[in-house]
Amino acid sequence: MMSVLRTVVAREYLERVRTRTFLLSTLGLPLLMLTLFGISAVMGARGGGGEFSVALVDRTGVLAEGLAPRLAAAGFEVEVVEPGSEGDLEPRLAAGDLDGVLLLADAALERGAARWRGGSTPSTLRRLGMQQALTQSALEVRLRDSEDGAALGALLAGGGLEIEPLDPDDPDDIQRDAGMVAGFAGGFLLYVVLLVYGSMVLRAVLEEKTGRIVEIILASMKPSQLMLGKIVGVGAVGLTQLAIWIGLGALVLGTGITSALPLLPEGGLDLDLAAYVPSAGVLLFFAVCFLVGYFLYASLFAAVGAMCSTEEEAQQLQFPVVMLVIIPIIFLMPMMENPESGWAVALSLFPFFSPILMFARVAAGAAPAWEAALSVILMLGALFVTAWVAGRIYRTGVLMQGKRPTLPELWRWIRTG
Amino acid sequence: MPDSTRQDSSRHPALRLEGVTKDFGRFRAVDGLDLEVPRGSIYGLLGPNGSGKTTSIRMIMGILAPDAGRVLLFGEDPARTRREKVGYLPEERGLYRRMKVLEQLVFLARIRGVDRRLASRKASDWLDRLGLGDRAEKRVEDLSKGMQQKVQFIGSVLHDPELLVLDEPFSGLDPINQDVLEEIVVEFHRKGTTILFSTHLMDQAERLCQRVCLISRARKVLDGSLEELKRNEAEGVVAMDFDGPDQWIHAPDVLHAERVPGGVRLQLQPGADSQDVLTRAVAAGARIRRFQRVEPRLHEIFVRHAGKGSS
Repeated sequence: MMSVLRTVVAREYLERVRTRTFLLSTLGLPLLMLTLFGISAVMGARGGGGEFSVALVDRTGVLAEGLAPRLAAAGFEVEVVEPGSEGDLEPRLAAGDLDGVLLLADAALERGAARWRGGSTPSTLRRLGMQQALTQSALEVRLRDSEDGAALGALLAGGGLEIEPLDPDDPDDIQRDAGMVAGFAGGFLLYVVLLVYGSMVLRAVLEEKTGRIVEIILASMKPSQLMLGKIVGVGAVGLTQLAIWIGLGALVLGTGITSALPLLPEGGLDLDLAAYVPSAGVLLFFAVCFLVGYFLYASLFAAVGAMCSTEEEAQQLQFPVVMLVIIPIIFLMPMMENPESGWAVALSLFPFFSPILMFARVAAGAAPAWEAALSVILMLGALFVTAWVAGRIYRTGVLMQGKRPTLPELWRWIRTG
Repeated sequence: MPDSTRQDSSRHPALRLEGVTKDFGRFRAVDGLDLEVPRGSIYGLLGPNGSGKTTSIRMIMGILAPDAGRVLLFGEDPARTRREKVGYLPEERGLYRRMKVLEQLVFLARIRGVDRRLASRKASDWLDRLGLGDRAEKRVEDLSKGMQQKVQFIGSVLHDPELLVLDEPFSGLDPINQDVLEEIVVEFHRKGTTILFSTHLMDQAERLCQRVCLISRARKVLDGSLEELKRNEAEGVVAMDFDGPDQWIHAPDVLHAERVPGGVRLQLQPGADSQDVLTRAVAAGARIRRFQRVEPRLHEIFVRHAGKGSS
């Protein structure tokens, strides 16, 4: 009988992994994310998009020297033009070769004010950038003459903020921060996994039912075996996909990040990456949530698939199950604001929410070990009951063509099997 | 199959149903059905659509559990017995549409315990034999309906079952393929395979079956060997050729009258005396050219008994 189960699992797995859809979704998602990541990195480096050329006309004679490099550092393309020849710039402005002319007069030294003449109005970000560069340059010039100019110059450059935790034994901010990130990321990943593979189980069951093949197979094995085979087969597909994604992720983190670094704005990745790798305990708990959560939801989805006769019907009927996955993800954000509160504990102990919510709390270090253990026991209990009920619905449902069962009928299916 | 297993269960008939009953809610689909299928026989489960044939077969296959009574497959509970012994072609035909033909057949054989290589070889042989050799690598959905039916049939016999259960095997097949299938069924019978098939086509059953069970409205009407049934019912059908008046035909002892060229074929009520009919015809002034008791057709036996059950 084991070999029968293995045959079913193998068929389910191979038939899915061999499809073009699997290939596209497995490679497509990371490619999409890499592309988005790349685009945002490039945009960040360019200070919001594209070259912006500025001609500096310095009537004060002292500002350009300091201002030009500051502007260049902020991402502008700068050329310094002798005062008096600014008339020659007009045709270039008109042609769009030049984005604008920054006119510096005495007011610049006195009040940090300047005049902008250009075809395109600079964005707020660029205006702020030019303003700051100008103020700093003017201050620099004014301070150069004073006695303690050098000391004040250091002040201008700015210091930093050193953070000292009250209790040195407390996990420091980076770690707590990392826990939060792991909680959100893991919770969200579980949400996607439960929904995507759960509904894949639903479609697999429905396909067998509407294709009328289920009867032939049930002549050779128990319905519970077939249902388990489908769930395990689809689960194996999910694990394969996850493994590929995690592998690619590790590859990108290991090698890709460094090559992507020049694209990032300076200081944009001031992170201790190692601190963001979750601890072994958290990873183990993730695996438990993944497995138990998947079997829990897959059983529910399989039961729904067995009740329906068409794809449209399934769309409607899966709604309550989908809601069970969506509710915890809605609660995730507010819960993490205060992950130790009573309602956070209560919600995360509800077995159908536990995979997402309890994992997030455990990752954030907000749940004591006994809560995690209790949630696993509750999830396993719920899985036991759910699988039993779903198995009963499944074994009657897959052979019923046509109309959807009413609630009393469903109750009879569960009672009598 | 090792000889020991065969001997061990060979005392039992291939299939036995004892008072099997199945309800769906308030609807009784099968009501106290008893039947016995001897080893090596071709057995027909006959009845109109909706009479409970498919439900009975599903219980035989262990797909549904009876609410009362029991099913014995080779003397065992079908839920426990090794299903490898049984081949099954359900009425609702279906295959994985996207799977390739050969792979699909190998899958079906493997869930019945056939080893992969053997399954693959046998499937190829069968495909060649039924003229589908060049379709082995095609997807099922690219095949015509008739071809899909053949593939499905192959799927039900790849593991060389001892008992072959076919639910309406001929429905949806064109006449040529019906003949092909009939030939294969007979061939399996010669090899010693027990065959149980359901049909609502009485002519087909009459041609193929050694034993039949007639059911109507969830209940068994009668069963036995075809020969025996016909012998017992021989009193019931009379063929008459005559000239003259014919109003004498319509009488309470005539169940059904079928006009044939030059005369009539009369099915009499159970217990009616054919001599009375003859006397009445002569008295009415008909000139009798032929009066003969004939072997009833299965259809006539069925109508006669199903009619009795329903009144």
